[in-house]
Amino acid sequence: MSYGRQVTVIGAGKTPFGSFPDKDLRTLAVEAGRKALANASMGSEAIEAFYLGNFAGPEFVEQNHLAPYISSALGIAGVPSTRFEAACASSGAAFFHAFMAVASGVYDAVMVAGVEKMTSQPTPRVTEILAGAGDCATEVKAGSTFPSLFAMIARRHMYDFGTTREHLAAVAVKNHENGALNPDAQMRKVITLEQAMNGRPIADPLNLYDCSLISDGAAAVILCAAERAREFTDKPVRVLGVAQASDWVGLDQKPDITTFAAVRGAAAKAYEMARLGPKDIDLAEVHDCFTIAEIIALEDLGFVERGRGGFFSFEGGTRRDGPKPVNASGGLKSKGHPVGATGVGQICDLVQQLRCEAGERQVKKHSTGLAQNLGGTGASCVVTILGRD
Amino acid sequence: MRTGTVYTETIVRAAPERFASEAPYQVIIVSLDGGGRVTARVQGENVAIGDRVLEAEPRAGVPWFRKLTD
Repeated sequence: MSYGRQVTVIGAGKTPFGSFPDKDLRTLAVEAGRKALANASMGSEAIEAFYLGNFAGPEFVEQNHLAPYISSALGIAGVPSTRFEAACASSGAAFFHAFMAVASGVYDAVMVAGVEKMTSQPTPRVTEILAGAGDCATEVKAGSTFPSLFAMIARRHMYDFGTTREHLAAVAVKNHENGALNPDAQMRKVITLEQAMNGRPIADPLNLYDCSLISDGAAAVILCAAERAREFTDKPVRVLGVAQASDWVGLDQKPDITTFAAVRGAAAKAYEMARLGPKDIDLAEVHDCFTIAEIIALEDLGFVERGRGGFFSFEGGTRRDGPKPVNASGGLKSKGHPVGATGVGQICDLVQQLRCEAGERQVKKHSTGLAQNLGGTGASCVVTILGRD
Repeated sequence: MRTGTVYTETIVRAAPERFASEAPYQVIIVSLDGGGRVTARVQGENVAIGDRVLEAEPRAGVPWFRKLTD
């Protein structure tokens, strides 16, 4: 299979993630887009297409037709502007399709952004909107929430592999420790294992500390043909591999809920494209919407054997100074999870690490980074591998 | 009525708006004896992975199961 031209990320920008009552969806997206353009030393007139990831703007803020709504305000009016929706993998999906367009030679430079404005709704309503990423005719109708779907995954993972409550808590403790060093993180608070074990129960065995946050935020990157990257920046980051895969939306349709076929599928393709394997990845940003999701990601991405994700996390394998640093940014757990912004947000975090600009969070080995962006209970997944150019 | 084995379960404590009055409640995925799986609610006593269950009357289009005792 041919992947076309080489593609680079030449600029990345994010808003902080958190609760921002005085900033609407468009304001957040424009802020991230302008930061990405400035970071790439590029003017908006050079952007040939605009790709937007957003999960539920119409439900959260009662605004549809979001891509031109944002691109015009960014001064890149006139170009094709399209919104991608793939639940929490929305901006990962936008990134994948934007990559394809640049690799194929259709465009030299495009912007990919992601945005979500969630805190304008009360929590029970947010829970209901997020549940729309599940199968509404079956699991959601029966009273499932997203935490409860991942709780059922956790229960089965514990039953099959001996994963423990302490293992889950260790993921939360590590991600909070990293997030405390991230000035853009929503919750900059170190927690103890005991606290993480005893949070308010949400859906057994998951408690509040196992769940990612409800957030507002936006992220944007500029993708550019590698041959033109150095016209704009001396620090381009190469997209070595990127792939998207899909699976059943309903959890009860999957033969095995302790592994995500879409993650394994997307990872296999991205590794093949990059001509790299799991051992070659220096650091990763994975989709820890719930602590169990990070544990399973470690397994599905091939960092550890099936069933060992919890043990590896508990032993410190994913800490910043461990053999496989994961979510040095603080992850969705501590950094925040404005769902439509998360995929591109992960790319921004990796770009920062690969350019050695992550400050106190900087990991030692940073030549290659992998981002894994998951939608729903694994019905969508995008895996991206980046390398220093 | 269908029978099966509990494949996984959870007790929902933070419920969405329309289920708030029922919380906490158990949600399960049942591996049906005839093949396939279904997401269901539980009547009576809570169940654990591996428990045998028997289908009860569905409510509002949602399957309900109860623990099968021998």
